[in-house]
Amino acid sequence: MRREWRSRFQWLGLLLYALSAGCSRTDSYPNRPITLVCPWAAGGGTDRVSRQMGIYLEEELGVPVNVINATGGQGVTGHARGLLARPDGYTLSMMTLELSMLHWRGLTHLTWQNSEPLMSVNEDPAALFVRDDSPFNTMSELEAAVRDKPGDLKASGTASLGAWHLALAGWLLSFDRLPTDVVWIPSQGSAPSLQELMSGGIDLVCCSVPEARSLLDAGKIRCLGVMADQRLALPGLDKYPTLKEQGSNWTLTGWRGIGVPQGTPPEIRERLVTALRRIVSGQAEVNGQTFPAYMESEGFDHTWRATDDFAAFLAGEDATFGKLLGREEFKTVRSGPIGPNAFPLVAGCLALGSLTVIGVGAARRMRAPLPADEPAAEENSADVSSVESGESALTQKVAFGCVIIATGTYSLATDSIGFIPMSAILLLGISLLLRAPVRTAVLLAIVASPIIYQIFTVLLRVPLPRGLIGW
Amino acid sequence: MSDALQTALQNTFSPETLLVILLAAMFGLFVGAIPGLTATMAVALMVPFTFFLDPVAGVAAIVTMEACCIFSGDIPTTLMRIPGTPSSAAYVDDAYALTQRHEHQKTLGVSLVFSVVGGLIGAVFLIVAAPQLARVAFEFSSYEYFWLCVLGLSCAAIVSRGSAAKGLLSLAIGLLIACVGIGSTHGVPRLTFGIEQLASGIDFIPAMIGLFGFSEVLRNVLKPAVQESALQAAAAEARFGSRGWLGAAMRDVFSSAIQRLKRSIGRVLTSSTIGAFIGMLPGAGADIAAWVSYAVSKRRSTVTEQAEYGSGSLQGIADATTANNASLAGAWIPALVLGIPGDSVTAIVIGVLLMKNVSPGPDIFQNPAQLPIVYSIYLTFVLANLLLLPLGFLAIRLGSQIVRVPRYVILPLILMACIVGSFAINSSYFDVYVMLCMGLLGFVLERFGVPLGPVVLGIILGPRLEETFVQSLTKSDSLTAFFSRPIAASLGALCIIVWLWPLISRLIGKNRRSTAAVPS
Repeated sequence: MRREWRSRFQWLGLLLYALSAGCSRTDSYPNRPITLVCPWAAGGGTDRVSRQMGIYLEEELGVPVNVINATGGQGVTGHARGLLARPDGYTLSMMTLELSMLHWRGLTHLTWQNSEPLMSVNEDPAALFVRDDSPFNTMSELEAAVRDKPGDLKASGTASLGAWHLALAGWLLSFDRLPTDVVWIPSQGSAPSLQELMSGGIDLVCCSVPEARSLLDAGKIRCLGVMADQRLALPGLDKYPTLKEQGSNWTLTGWRGIGVPQGTPPEIRERLVTALRRIVSGQAEVNGQTFPAYMESEGFDHTWRATDDFAAFLAGEDATFGKLLGREEFKTVRSGPIGPNAFPLVAGCLALGSLTVIGVGAARRMRAPLPADEPAAEENSADVSSVESGESALTQKVAFGCVIIATGTYSLATDSIGFIPMSAILLLGISLLLRAPVRTAVLLAIVASPIIYQIFTVLLRVPLPRGLIGW
Repeated sequence: MSDALQTALQNTFSPETLLVILLAAMFGLFVGAIPGLTATMAVALMVPFTFFLDPVAGVAAIVTMEACCIFSGDIPTTLMRIPGTPSSAAYVDDAYALTQRHEHQKTLGVSLVFSVVGGLIGAVFLIVAAPQLARVAFEFSSYEYFWLCVLGLSCAAIVSRGSAAKGLLSLAIGLLIACVGIGSTHGVPRLTFGIEQLASGIDFIPAMIGLFGFSEVLRNVLKPAVQESALQAAAAEARFGSRGWLGAAMRDVFSSAIQRLKRSIGRVLTSSTIGAFIGMLPGAGADIAAWVSYAVSKRRSTVTEQAEYGSGSLQGIADATTANNASLAGAWIPALVLGIPGDSVTAIVIGVLLMKNVSPGPDIFQNPAQLPIVYSIYLTFVLANLLLLPLGFLAIRLGSQIVRVPRYVILPLILMACIVGSFAINSSYFDVYVMLCMGLLGFVLERFGVPLGPVVLGIILGPRLEETFVQSLTKSDSLTAFFSRPIAASLGALCIIVWLWPLISRLIGKNRRSTAAVPS
C-alpha cells in the first residue's frame, strides 16, 4: 500500500509543476488578482452588483477580480476590511450608504474620509409601500393618519436604525413628528419585511424599489412615494410618484460605489477610474453586454458619479445623517419592549441552571457509585483505557498542544508569509507529529498546499493570502 | 398549455442546456463537498455568468447546482465529521459513527437515494400544489415564526442523547454564541468584550466546522497511533475485494438504501412533506428542515431504535436528508408564486429571473410567454435529481477512498480543510480563531458527554427567536397575541404538547405497561 501511495504522489508532483508553470510577475499595476470587498451577504443586491462589476473590471484590467463577502456588524466589518487594507490598489471596496451613518451611531470610527472615492455606480432611493388593500393612497393620507394616531402604524424594512429606518424617521421629522410615531419593527431585511407586510403583521414597508419589484409588478403592493427629487428613470418604474410631487422635501437614497483605502497612489487610482468610467458609461463590453444593461435588467438604477463628484456627494450624505442621528430621539432609541440584555440573560440563566443540575447529579452519583450507564462515562473510560503506556499518553498530550498552537500560529503568520509556505509547514509538522515516514510527510506538504491554493483561488475564486513571495 | 410544455421540453433538453446542467451538477457536487462553501456561495459564484446564458439554462444551472450541493455536503459529513453545508449538521454524529464502523458506503448510499427521493417528492409538491401552498406561507407573520423557532429549539431536547440537562446546557451555549455581535434586533454590540471583530458576531460556519471537525482532529491526536492504523489497514483490506467491480460497488452503496426505501415509504412521505413545508417558509431553509425531520423521525421510532439516534441511526439520516432535499423545491414555491424568496438561493434566483424579464408572481402561471420557464424549472428539478444518482454514486466511490488513506496523511489534510473552510466564508483569519476556540469547546463538551447538535441549533435559531419575539411584542404588548391567529395558536399548542410530552408519554406508558404486563 505504501508503494501505491508513493506512485500516486509522483503523479501529483508532475501536476504541481504543470500548475506552477503559469505563474509570472511583472511590475506594472495591476499584475496580480484584485479583491473587491462586499460588506453584504452573497446573493443580495450589493453582492450581485459587486459580482457583475467584478466581471467587467476583470475584462478591463486583465487580472482576476475576486469578490469576497465580509458580512456582519450591519456593514462595519466589510467597510473596515476594505478601507483599512493595504493601499496598494489590490483591495477595492464596494461602499454602501451605511458608511455615511455607522460612525454617527458610534459603531465604528470609519467615515467616507477613510476612502478615496472612485466611482459611485448606483443610486436607489427609498420608497414607501403598502398592501394593495391598504386604506392609504397618497402620502398626505398617510401623513394625516400619523398625525391623528401617533404610534398606531407599524413599519419595517431593515434592522433597527438601519438605512430604511432612518429614511422613514427622516420623513416623519420633515413634518415635525417624532421618529417613534410610526413603530419600527426590526427585521433582517426587505424580503422578510415584505413577507410580514403581506401576512398583515405591519402596515408599511420602507425599502428600495428594486427590492420590492416582483410584488409591485404582481399588484400585491402599492408604492406611495419615492424619496427622491425625480421619478425613477428606468422604464416601467417611472410611474411611481415622488414625495416631492406630494409636497414633501425629504429625500433619501441608497447608493453603492467603489473606493480604495486612503493613501492609494494617484497613478493606481487613475488606472482604476479609467477602467470604471468605461464600465459605467457602457463602453466596456463582455460577451456583447454592457454593465448599464445589466443594471437595468436587474431593475437597479445606474446613475454614476466619478471621483470629486462622488466625494462631494458623500460629504453631503454624511452631513444629512449627522443631523438626523444627532437628534436626542435617536440617542435614547429603544427598539422594543425588551432591552438588548434580556435575551443573553435568559440564555445565561439557562446555561447556569442546567450546569447546576448536571453538577448536583454528578455529585450525587459520586456519593453512590452506580454502574456506568451514562454515555459520557463510557466514552471517557474507552478513551482512557486505550491509552496504555504513560509515555505514549504524554506524547499524545504534546501532540494535542502542538495542533492547537500550530493552528493559532498559522492564522497569525499566513497573511504576511503566504498561504503555500505556511500550509506546507503545517502539513509537514502535523504529519511528522503523527509519525509519518519523513518522505511521505515532505511529499504531502509540497504537493497538497499548492493544489489547495489552486482549487480555491482559480476554481472557487476565494483569494488566499499571497504573502512575501506572491503565493 | 401543451404548447408551453413543448417549448419547455425543447428548451430543457437542448444540447446546450443539458451541457450546462451536467457542468453545474459537477460543480455543485464539488463545492458542496468542500467544508465552508455553501450552496448559496456556489450559486452566487454562478450568477454573473447567468447574465450571459439564456434564461432556461441559467435557472437550470442553479436548480441542479443546489440539489447536488446539498447532497454532496453529506460526503465530508460522513467521512470526516465536517458538515459540508449547514444542512448536514443535524445528522453529523450519526453519519460519522457509521463511518467509524466502516459502513460509510452504506451510509452515503442511504443519503444519496433518500436525497434523490426527497428532491423528487419536493418537486412534485412544487409542480402540483405551488399556488395553494404559497397562500399558507403568506399567513406566516412574526407570531407564527416565533412558535416555529420555539418548536425548532424544542427539537434540541428530542435529538440530544443522554440527559436533558446536558442538552439544555448545550442549547444555552448555542444561544449565547448567537447573541454575540451587533444583532439586527437591537443594533447595539453585545458580549463583544471590547474585541472589535466580535462586533460582526460569530459566523455559524466556522463555529460548526470547529465544533465537529476540529474537535475530531483533536480527539484523534489523543488516540494511540498504532491501533488506529492497524484498524484502518484491516478495513482497507476488507474493502479491497469489492473495489473496481461495478456491480459489487453498486451493491455496497445501494442495496441497503433500496431495502430501507421499500420499508419506509410512509416515513419518506412525512419527511418530504416536512421538508417542502419548512422550505416554503421564507427564512427557514434546508438546515432547519433537516433538524425538524430528524426530531420527528426519532419520535416515531421504537425505543430500541431511538437509542441509535446520535450514534449511528441510518433511519435518522434517511429522514433528515430526505427533508433537506425536499425543502429545496419548497423554497421555490413562494419565490415563483409570490416573488418572495423562500431562502437565500431563491433570493438570487428572483434576481436572475427579473434580469431575464421574467417577473415571478401570480402572473407567471398565466402569462403564456413565461409559462415555458416555469415548466422548464419543473423539468430541471426532476432531471437534476435523476442526474444526481449516477454522479452522486461516482462522488461516493471517489470520496470513500479517503478512509483508506493513512492517518498521518488524512489528519493533517482534515486540519487544513477546517482552516481553509472557515477562512473561505469571510476571507478572515479571525474566523479561523473562532473555529479553533469552537473546536476546543466541542472537545471539552464531548469529554463531559454534552451533545454538540443543540449548540448548532441554538446558533441557527437564536437570532430568529429573539427577533420574532421582539417583533411580536412590539406589535402588540399583550401575550395573548401569540395565540390570537389560528396558525400561531395551533403551532403554540403543538409546542406545549412537545414540552409536556415526557409527562404524557409517561402517563400513557403507565397505562400500557399495566395492561401489557401479563403477556410479556
